[in-house]
Amino acid sequence: MAILNITYAGLSADFPLESGLNLTDGDVRRIAVEVVRAGGVRGMTFAQLSDNAFDHYVVDRFTGPAGERRIYLRPKVPFGGRRSA
Amino acid sequence: MKRVVFCGVGALGSHAAVLCRNLAAQLVFIDFDRVESKNLLSQAFVKPSLGKNKADALKAQLLNFFGIKAEAFGVRLGEDNVEVLLKQADLVVDCFDNVKSRTLLSRFATKNDTPLVHAGISGDGTFGLVRWDERFVADAEDTEGQATCEGGEHLPMLGFVASVLARTIQDFVVSGERRDAIVALTSATVTNATATVG
Repeated sequence: MAILNITYAGLSADFPLESGLNLTDGDVRRIAVEVVRAGGVRGMTFAQLSDNAFDHYVVDRFTGPAGERRIYLRPKVPFGGRRSA
Repeated sequence: MKRVVFCGVGALGSHAAVLCRNLAAQLVFIDFDRVESKNLLSQAFVKPSLGKNKADALKAQLLNFFGIKAEAFGVRLGEDNVEVLLKQADLVVDCFDNVKSRTLLSRFATKNDTPLVHAGISGDGTFGLVRWDERFVADAEDTEGQATCEGGEHLPMLGFVASVLARTIQDFVVSGERRDAIVALTSATVTNATATVG
């Protein structure tokens, strides 16, 4: 059991995964497309979500305070790169 | 008094620094860049600061507007000066805008066991991240010179992420707690919290 948190289009919500322990990043992205498209993620309704909607998203994996596995699918945050500081 | 060093005082760093002005901490700003007119749209700089170095300008603004004394280093942080500029830091705040500089800070923090918190916002202004270095991996840029938030259309979201970052800094300075957070348009969610002795 794992919790998949998806952040997309400024929205963020959890989705429980029955078998989330051995998923590859690609698996996570594909599952996210399916569940968001199907309306299974609370507050997210994007029925026409494209297959590659999460191709450039990052998959983070952490263990929560209660020992639960948490997977975060989120946009990248490089915030530019035009200039180095 | 803890020494909090902001590395990069552009869109996120300038706003977060202003929100940290009441902390019982010595604020230090590092940025080589200068204030341009477009920066007034999305950063915490005012018109009289145009043309000035960002670190110097922010230092002057805090003093003139709030009576807060800060330190400023208007230089480019690199391998040659990172040890000197950050060696006395009790907390380093990464508000840089590129992977190379973020990685430089991570290496320094790991080597010197210096607390380091990173913050960033997605190019489309819909998502922000605050994450401590022990759980941080710099995201690769899809393309060199990826979109930034210079135009000002994402200013409210910049303020939101900067607020979360400022609160994270405050909690660390006050209690040593290290909280990660993700910030979406409608919510800020703590994703990890580690209490340590400050």
